[in-house]
Amino acid sequence: MSNSIVTYKPDNFIEKGYVSIFREIFLELKENRWLTFQLFQRDFFAGYKQSFFGICWTLVTPLMSVGTFIVLNKSGVFSVGEIGMPYPLYAIIGIAFWNLFSSGLASGSDALVRAGNMLTKINFSKKSLVLASFGSSIVSFLIQLILALALFAYYKILPAPGILFLPIVIVPILLLSLGLSFIFALLNSIMRDIGKALPMVLTFLMFLTPVLYGKPKAGILLHITQYNPLYYFVSEARSLVLTGTMTTTEIKGFFFSWLGALGIFIVGLVLFHLTEKRIAERI
Amino acid sequence: MNQDVAIEVQGISKKYCRSIKRSMLYGMMDIGRNICRLSSYSGTLRSKEFWAVDNISFEIKRGESFGLIGPNGSGKTTLLQMINGIFWPDKGKIAVRGKISALIAVGAGFHPMLTGRENIYVNGAILGMGKKEIDRKFEAIIDFADIGDFLDSPVKHYSSGMYVRLGFAVAVHCEPNILLVDEVLAVGDKDFQMKCYQRMNQIRKQGTTIILVTHNEYTIREYTTRCLYLSDGKERFVGSSEEGIGLYIKDILEQRSQRTKIKDPGKSYNRNKAELLPVKFLDRNGQEIHFLESGQELNIQLDCIFHERLNNPIFGVNFYNNLGFMYCVNSDYENQNFNGNIRGKVRINIHIPHFYLPASNYLCSTVIADESPENLIDWHNMAYKFVVGRAQNARGSIKLPTQWEIKMIEEEI
Repeated sequence: MSNSIVTYKPDNFIEKGYVSIFREIFLELKENRWLTFQLFQRDFFAGYKQSFFGICWTLVTPLMSVGTFIVLNKSGVFSVGEIGMPYPLYAIIGIAFWNLFSSGLASGSDALVRAGNMLTKINFSKKSLVLASFGSSIVSFLIQLILALALFAYYKILPAPGILFLPIVIVPILLLSLGLSFIFALLNSIMRDIGKALPMVLTFLMFLTPVLYGKPKAGILLHITQYNPLYYFVSEARSLVLTGTMTTTEIKGFFFSWLGALGIFIVGLVLFHLTEKRIAERI
Repeated sequence: MNQDVAIEVQGISKKYCRSIKRSMLYGMMDIGRNICRLSSYSGTLRSKEFWAVDNISFEIKRGESFGLIGPNGSGKTTLLQMINGIFWPDKGKIAVRGKISALIAVGAGFHPMLTGRENIYVNGAILGMGKKEIDRKFEAIIDFADIGDFLDSPVKHYSSGMYVRLGFAVAVHCEPNILLVDEVLAVGDKDFQMKCYQRMNQIRKQGTTIILVTHNEYTIREYTTRCLYLSDGKERFVGSSEEGIGLYIKDILEQRSQRTKIKDPGKSYNRNKAELLPVKFLDRNGQEIHFLESGQELNIQLDCIFHERLNNPIFGVNFYNNLGFMYCVNSDYENQNFNGNIRGKVRINIHIPHFYLPASNYLCSTVIADESPENLIDWHNMAYKFVVGRAQNARGSIKLPTQWEIKMIEEEI
């Protein structure tokens, strides 16, 4: 091990073939599993250290947002269309899926900038930073899921057997979000504009996607919805859990979105791998 | 690469951009080209770019301790970052054998909210250690850091010294093949510094290569065998540490003495009688100098114009350091008599075979008086700057000539 020679020169990777790039990425991720976990732990626990309620805050945020929409819905300000089930349940599952995507993407895109001078002082796997930043969103997703199960019990409704497919629905959300995070994290470390624009774009996307309202029946929103992969990941995933049904067109859409997410993940990961060394010199 | 070479650096350069907007643009261009698997043509400068490290080559053997010196902004850290693989060079090639651990900043990667104990694990992980490895070395790490009860308080309450202690403790316990240390130890107290250097010596003997960046000449002399002296990103010198640090100090002193202008010679006293001209300091070969290594030969050349005939003029050259220490050469104390009605331009040479003033910056006054020191004729008060540097092979600020003898008094059998 002590005899392995590493060489650094300009545009180091250009001579490497794609096969060896994938191999490198795989080995790097495997080798850095523990580091990734440590980085996640660091950010997760450090975030709640100097607060009285500590980790309980992870519960408060989703409760508040669902609460807000219940109030809006009850007062008739906000019409959700036909959903055929208790709105709180509908909203919390939708929000859980959406947040998995959006908060992961937001923190992932910011992961390198947040790490700051660590990047220029220590040589370590930067992929771990991006991956670790997803830890918190996964934890809050699980908490929201538990909340949802509690609501199922409260309304005395049984979740559809489709809930067993949950992993299949979560994976593409994560892949899409991670793939985009890799790309945005890279760009954000050079141009901070990305980090500034992203939260706005995400809010806009959230209202464009039927997260808190039912699938639009007509109009331009319907068209957009049909080609919106997030619709399949959030809304259709939710119907799978709640009613256990998906029409064939929707299964097709879901399938293509799945492939798209996988593609974006791979592209993002490879781009990140090829250019991560460029970050430290410009951040 | 030869088996006994740990680091081989061949003509590497690194450019930086002065303008942040352009830097963004160039960054995007480089990334874009790299994504398309094209060369970024890094070997050429674009507008507003400059070489921060310029065509540096050297080789470090296994188990060698290598120093990196140079003024601020000369590219030392950039060079370390490239050796560490944090970014690529823009020209040239670096080959590194084995695992590197770097201490480029104090506790980089420490989270201020987490306790020392938690940070040991996180930092260890970032530096490439596994859980079992840290578990195994944990006791040794806290033992070395020696921060007592602070181990379980958040790192943000640490003093900067404790920060370094913990950071260094983790880094040296990585058992690297190569350890890069960038001037971080200066923050620790003397005790801890000694401990670190001892530890570095110890791991060096076990075959670890060490690169040390420091401004402390003593450290370079004591703990490194060879060094690279960088100036403006370029190699000024590479070779033995003794020579390198000597050259570095000489350069600094030269610049410093050139920067200080000679003050306006003080107010006139009796300049109608006689007048001093600016003093000159000469070395053994008669070359004018502004600095000198303590203990070397110094010749002071003082020119003076006598407008009137004086009976017994007294000349003086005084050196003051910033603590008020004064050293005087006065002709009356040296029992030098110049009686004999001098008139016209006169040159006084004062020969000092060994100028043993301690290393420091001195301000120098020249003075001429008539018969007794109170009767000032002309006085250039602290008008000249003179720098004394430390003698070679000296630990303190002066090196006096010594003779050593060892004698058996009573033999024990």
